[in-house]
Amino acid sequence: MRAITANRLTDGHVVYRRADGIWKPSLIEAERFADDRAAEPALDAALRDILTVVGPYLIELDGERPGGRKHVREAIRLKGPTTGTSLLYAQER
Amino acid sequence: MGSEASVKHAHSRVEIDTATAPQAALDAARRAAAIDIRFPAFKDGRGYSLAALIRESGFAGELRATGDILPDQKDYLTRSGFDVIAPDEGSPRWARASFTHAYQPGLAKGANDRLPAYRARALAARKAQVQALNQQYGDAPPETIIAVALEVFAGRIAMLSSFGIEAALGLALLAQVDRAVPVLFLDTQRHFPQTLSYRDQLVAHLRLEDVRPLTPDPAEARAQDHDGRLYERDSEACCDLRKVRPLNAALDGFDAVITGRKRAHGSGREALRPFEFDGERVKINPVAGLDPARIASLYRDMKLPAHPLGAQGYTSVGCWPCTAPSAGTHPRDGRWPGSDRSECGIFDPVRTARAEAASRRTVRLIG
Amino acid sequence: MYRYDEIDRSIVSERVEEFREQVSARLSGALTEDQFKPLRLMNGVYLQLHAYMLRVAIPYGTLDARQMRVLAHIARHYDKDYGHFTTRQNIQYNWPALVDIPEILEQLADVEMHAIQTSGNCIRNTTTDPFAGAALDEVEDPRPWCELIRQWSTFHPEFTFLPRKFKIAVTGSDADRAAIGVHDIGLKLVRNDAGETGFEVHAGGGQGRTPRVAVKLRDFLPKGELLAYLTAIMRVYNLAGQRDNIYKARIKILVETMGAEAFTQDVEAMYRQIRGRDLAVPAEEAARLAAFFPEPSPSTLPEGVSDAPGYARWRAINVKPHKVPGRAIVVISLKPRAGAPGDATADQMDAVASLAERYGDGEIRVTKEQNLVIPHAIAAHLPAIHEGLREAGLATANAGLASDIVTCPGLDYCNLANARSIPVAQALSAALFDRGLDEDTQDLTIKISGCINACGHHHIANIGLLGVDKKGEEVYQLTLGGVADNGAAIGKILGPGLTPDEAVEAVAACVGVFRRKRKDGETFTHTLARIGFEPFKEAVYGQ
Repeated sequence: MRAITANRLTDGHVVYRRADGIWKPSLIEAERFADDRAAEPALDAALRDILTVVGPYLIELDGERPGGRKHVREAIRLKGPTTGTSLLYAQER
Repeated sequence: MGSEASVKHAHSRVEIDTATAPQAALDAARRAAAIDIRFPAFKDGRGYSLAALIRESGFAGELRATGDILPDQKDYLTRSGFDVIAPDEGSPRWARASFTHAYQPGLAKGANDRLPAYRARALAARKAQVQALNQQYGDAPPETIIAVALEVFAGRIAMLSSFGIEAALGLALLAQVDRAVPVLFLDTQRHFPQTLSYRDQLVAHLRLEDVRPLTPDPAEARAQDHDGRLYERDSEACCDLRKVRPLNAALDGFDAVITGRKRAHGSGREALRPFEFDGERVKINPVAGLDPARIASLYRDMKLPAHPLGAQGYTSVGCWPCTAPSAGTHPRDGRWPGSDRSECGIFDPVRTARAEAASRRTVRLIG
Repeated sequence: MYRYDEIDRSIVSERVEEFREQVSARLSGALTEDQFKPLRLMNGVYLQLHAYMLRVAIPYGTLDARQMRVLAHIARHYDKDYGHFTTRQNIQYNWPALVDIPEILEQLADVEMHAIQTSGNCIRNTTTDPFAGAALDEVEDPRPWCELIRQWSTFHPEFTFLPRKFKIAVTGSDADRAAIGVHDIGLKLVRNDAGETGFEVHAGGGQGRTPRVAVKLRDFLPKGELLAYLTAIMRVYNLAGQRDNIYKARIKILVETMGAEAFTQDVEAMYRQIRGRDLAVPAEEAARLAAFFPEPSPSTLPEGVSDAPGYARWRAINVKPHKVPGRAIVVISLKPRAGAPGDATADQMDAVASLAERYGDGEIRVTKEQNLVIPHAIAAHLPAIHEGLREAGLATANAGLASDIVTCPGLDYCNLANARSIPVAQALSAALFDRGLDEDTQDLTIKISGCINACGHHHIANIGLLGVDKKGEEVYQLTLGGVADNGAAIGKILGPGLTPDEAVEAVAACVGVFRRKRKDGETFTHTLARIGFEPFKEAVYGQ
């Protein structure tokens, strides 16, 4: 599965795009796409949303969690810095 | 890197791009009246260095930046030497035009040029120092003024001497403190033989260690004075070639210069103070306040040799084509006889005013 | 401390206004992100994983109590109550909102600070010896020259769009605590036979993907010629440096491609061409700058004594000798057990400001080891300083020990990182503390980078870790033998990559080998040269 993420223009915070085009901090509410191709129209719309977000792109999902090659990075984006937490963060997912 | 192929000619306007080799860009600048430098991408900063090189080479024509340019780059471009900014897309209105001060030397033409902060501050400090020195030593005797000057400007001071009628006094006072201070002598190649032998006599007598003859640039002399008679056609141009330019070149590296000028010489020298700021350097005039009688008595007391031409009625000696024995009452009457000139230009009030204006843009110092 | 005059003030405040206009143009849509990005980067504003990051320049790592309080204020009001001191002697805020940044910059400008050129392909903040003006072994205080370079490089019209970023480091002593060998330009103040001081000039060093030690261009440059010579180096690089490949764009690659000799010749030729009036450093300005950095006055009071818990150890490890009698250099470790290296809370910053003000002429330094320094502490007040630091949680006695670990922000914050570095440092710190491995490790350096850009300086660590991304997992390469100061050297890879847990154990094992094999207080480099890589390999990969 795929979802669309970006950083909010005003404060840079991580957001995910809902099906209605609204950006929210929660991944749960994000619109899901079967693959890159299915996400294309929504990503195009996101890229035009330059007054709301910066640099929208697709992430891979593994169930409810970020997956794929960038899973560590995306997990950190979703949950915040892991400093002070276990090194096994990535494996704990 | 670029090549000749990237240099396109169109009448007298030439377009080069940022990839043009520096030498090719300089060649283009020699042939063209106007140059466009095209930026393929705003990040390609080579264009700034090319513009600087071209401007530093003396190119005075229009230098235009074209291509992919961010409006906010305007200030950087202007200060690197561009005078026209013509981005492919028009400038958005939010581009800020310019800024009040700059830390670096700029190459912009005309009024937009700003002194680099470090020079602006140094010149302000120099000016303040001159005021303070005059306050403290304005009426001090010549030997005190020379000693103070050599201490304050140690390592960056020279004496300018014509080895003329009254030159021995300043040189002798200098030699009493430090014989190693550079003495600049404008060897115009038009001196009386008596002046040259007098110079050699004084150097030996005072044991001066660093007398530097300044001669005109040979190439410039060939070009402008091919027959050696420029003084007949245009005495100002001759002075410029043989005095002003060699001296300007030699003064690079000196922040202060000791002169032999005197208030009694007139020609605008009536208000001369011992320390003077010309907008760039400090001129020190240790003998400014001495009158001819006092000078004559000092020559006697110090047993200084006299210039051979003094006995022939000369009261001020320059180059032989433009100097005559004094006809009137004024010591400099014999200089440029028959013309209204009284100064050769090395103490040019126009240049001084210009430099003064530049230094006015300096600021109050803190700390 | 340098104080702004009207020129400095107008230059900085006009740029704050300019950035305010640029931010509103971006928010209104007059600027696209592509257009805005280079503009915000010029003002130190990055967009990282979770938020914008603002990198504030601390010029040559020197600040005063008043400035530190403003840094604390910014952390408290615009961020999450902390800041991160970096390996380039700057501070980074991880959570400011874009809309607040013009206001933050204005508050910085009020105390003569800025974020100018902390990013972008321009000349970055100049770094120097954190003990400058205090060190026993100094030829001359490098800070007046750093300030001259700061000004000359700020908004330099010709050198703001270089092939790549550019870093200058200056040291005033042979012991080179500024790592000049791994900088684009490294300057060392030296004395010639005539007794004059001038600069030994190095160029072409750097870390990152292709670490190189700088080559020496000149043995002696008269100080007044500094700006002309720097301009010559910059112009040669700006015109000839590669621009089509970001990995080959640093000056180190140009120097290597041209050869040190040809590069030096080009620089010297350019220098001869441009030197003169406008680029000569006026004697008055050199004197003016020097006057901002007076030597602190001696103190006749005897050094303080204390039997407070931990004082003796802290005094032995974190306090260094000062060139002025009655003064001492106090290193404040930002490396508590399992802490995030370089992080300080707003309260801690305020505490350091107060201690510096009360007991050290108000001056503070930031080190490339991500610690703070009170450079001119009055030795009589060392016990009071220790007490104040203890209350603030800043009295960790490990300056220069193994647990004084250097790290970049890594994948927890940074958009470029491939792996985390702070959590690895935290786990390693806990292991070193808890197993007593920190003892007798003076001057052993451990540094961790989360990607090949090497902000964590792993190349020049005795023991370095480099995090890489291997098929989506974090893997760490261990290097041995790097040196930062006093003759830079690049570490060599010990063996295959390690998981985060393994990396922690591997470094701990290497520290153990060093402690067992070290003879007579020799440095890690000497021990390594004597015993070779094998004992370390065996300890890490053995069995």
